[in-house]
Amino acid sequence: MNQTVVEVKDLVKTYGSIRAVDGISISVARAEVFGMLGPNGAGKTTTVEIIEGLRTADSGTVTLLGMDVSRDIRAIKERIGVQSQHPALFPNLTVEESINFFRTLYKTCLPAADIITLARLEESRKVLYRNLSGGQQQRLSVALAFVNDPEVLFLDEPTTGLDPQARRAMWEVVENFHRTGKTVLLTTHYMEEAQRLCDRVAIMDHGKVIALDSPRRMIEEHIKESAIQFKMTNYPGDEVLAGLTGVTKAIREGDEVILYTSDIPAAISALLSLAAERSAALSELFVRQATLEDVFLKLTGKRIRD
Amino acid sequence: MRAFAAVFSVHFRQFVRDRAALFFTFIFPIMFILLFGWAFSGRGIQTFDVGLSDLGSPQSAGFVAQGLGMVTTDEGKQMFEVEMGPQEEMLRSLRDGDLDAVIVVPADMDLALSQRLPSQLEVYYDPSLASNQQTLIPVLYQVVDGIDRVLQNSTPLIGLEQNSLESHQLRHIDYLVPGILGMSLMFTGLFGALPVIQQRQAHIIKRLGTTPLRRSTLVLGDLTFRMILVLLTAALIVLVGRLVFDVQMVGNWFTFCGMVVLGTLAFTSLGYLVAAFVKTEEAAAPVINVITMPMMILSGTFFEVTSMPSFIQPVVKILPLTYLNDALRQIMVAGTPLHPMTIDIAVMGAWVVVCLAVTIRFFRWD
Repeated sequence: MNQTVVEVKDLVKTYGSIRAVDGISISVARAEVFGMLGPNGAGKTTTVEIIEGLRTADSGTVTLLGMDVSRDIRAIKERIGVQSQHPALFPNLTVEESINFFRTLYKTCLPAADIITLARLEESRKVLYRNLSGGQQQRLSVALAFVNDPEVLFLDEPTTGLDPQARRAMWEVVENFHRTGKTVLLTTHYMEEAQRLCDRVAIMDHGKVIALDSPRRMIEEHIKESAIQFKMTNYPGDEVLAGLTGVTKAIREGDEVILYTSDIPAAISALLSLAAERSAALSELFVRQATLEDVFLKLTGKRIRD
Repeated sequence: MRAFAAVFSVHFRQFVRDRAALFFTFIFPIMFILLFGWAFSGRGIQTFDVGLSDLGSPQSAGFVAQGLGMVTTDEGKQMFEVEMGPQEEMLRSLRDGDLDAVIVVPADMDLALSQRLPSQLEVYYDPSLASNQQTLIPVLYQVVDGIDRVLQNSTPLIGLEQNSLESHQLRHIDYLVPGILGMSLMFTGLFGALPVIQQRQAHIIKRLGTTPLRRSTLVLGDLTFRMILVLLTAALIVLVGRLVFDVQMVGNWFTFCGMVVLGTLAFTSLGYLVAAFVKTEEAAAPVINVITMPMMILSGTFFEVTSMPSFIQPVVKILPLTYLNDALRQIMVAGTPLHPMTIDIAVMGAWVVVCLAVTIRFFRWD
């Protein structure tokens, strides 16, 4: 049995002079949650849409469930579930009608009640789509991706625009689906989401995969230090901060400064004496474990969310 | 088939829950028929108020009054209501709109007639009113001619019996109803582009693209729904025409439905063409208005196209609605053909083919 569910090789897609997808190769194993992490415009959505068969690549191949996407797309569509970035349904259909419409499009499908529960819209089953709140529309849109009980689920920014509570509920939905041995490919620009849900993450920037590993190993490999994060008046410059005792690297993003160190006490005392010396005020100082955000920052020199 | 039925029912629900679409499809054309129908038939068979001013020939004035009084309408009513008075007063009433015409009998007319010399009656009227041009003046000519013959004691040798070309005479409302139907098919077809543009803009079509639903099923479901919609509209218009204004349907229903479907195809293709070039709903509405409004005026919906100035005739000859209106008029009320029916069908068919060809070339689903 072929354990590779998604196999992407040397994918290229250009729009005019922009290489939106610039030679991407990834493979996703069965029962894996695979994340694509990157800022807007990194090429995540384009890549996913090529895999789903919504766009055609300029070059490269996509194999999905052992079938060629460019040839067997209809057979593939029966077995995948897709939530696209924009919640997009007929405005004048009710929740229930929307679900039943999608159910007629597939050979096999889950009961409508399951999807309503999944979307947590039990109270709104007779409400027209256009009268739902943004969060409810988003939940319905994600839940509809489950309608055909898919083997592979594609989620494009599934929690963008959701409040923290709804986001956590959505994560549970994905985790439950994953537990049944199904495969998920999701894009996100939330670090926390990628770190919590994904077995492996591909960090993307400018149409390229710049790192690919499990979140934990990626952090361990790239950043062995902890991070000290703060704001500072009279900023002395990156070089001065990087030269402090115990500090291996200093990065400034806007008015936030991050120092990486493997000796937290030494670095903090050096920082405090520097601040006293220059009469600089420190604020919002805290020490934390390195995250995927730090990995991204280190690799690209910028934050994911601008 | 299940997917097709589902798509059809989605379009149906989308439509019946859209008040604006409901209004423009069903209420709007009926409103037009009622408004125009009543506006043109408000006075029923026309009667005229005529002022008669005698400047000093009472005998002649009496002849004229008597002559006018003898003219009756088809329903046996007197066509002229005659009012006598001084010239100044009569002309003032004409200007105020209280009179339709004023006839002035010159002072020397009695004398001239007694000597068998020609003499002139003067008629004042407002030529801007169509009813004056079409009815009043010709009838007055006949009245004067009649008086003349009586005075000269002559019998006309050649008469003219009026026979209408068709089995029944066309009233303005008979002309109007097929025109309104053509107009509403145009609106339904062209505004059918809006849901397509909306659904594309809202990424709905893209979302459906991730399901096994075929594009062809989507298009076919939309088209089928649209056809049933226009047949309903047509039935409603024919029914209102029949019940309210007694507009008889003379042609056969099969030809009629075929023409409705062909016309709708022509305008739906034109709508798809708009959808191929206009990306947003906000931009589409004005574009569709720019196409439909002139077409509504220029294609013989309300007025005959032959009355349009010659410089505009080339435009009139291109517009598909000209041919649809012509064909519907021939079928529904046996109107005088502008073109043979085969030409009407060929021109609309050509519009379908050209629009679809351009659409297929430029239309994008995302």
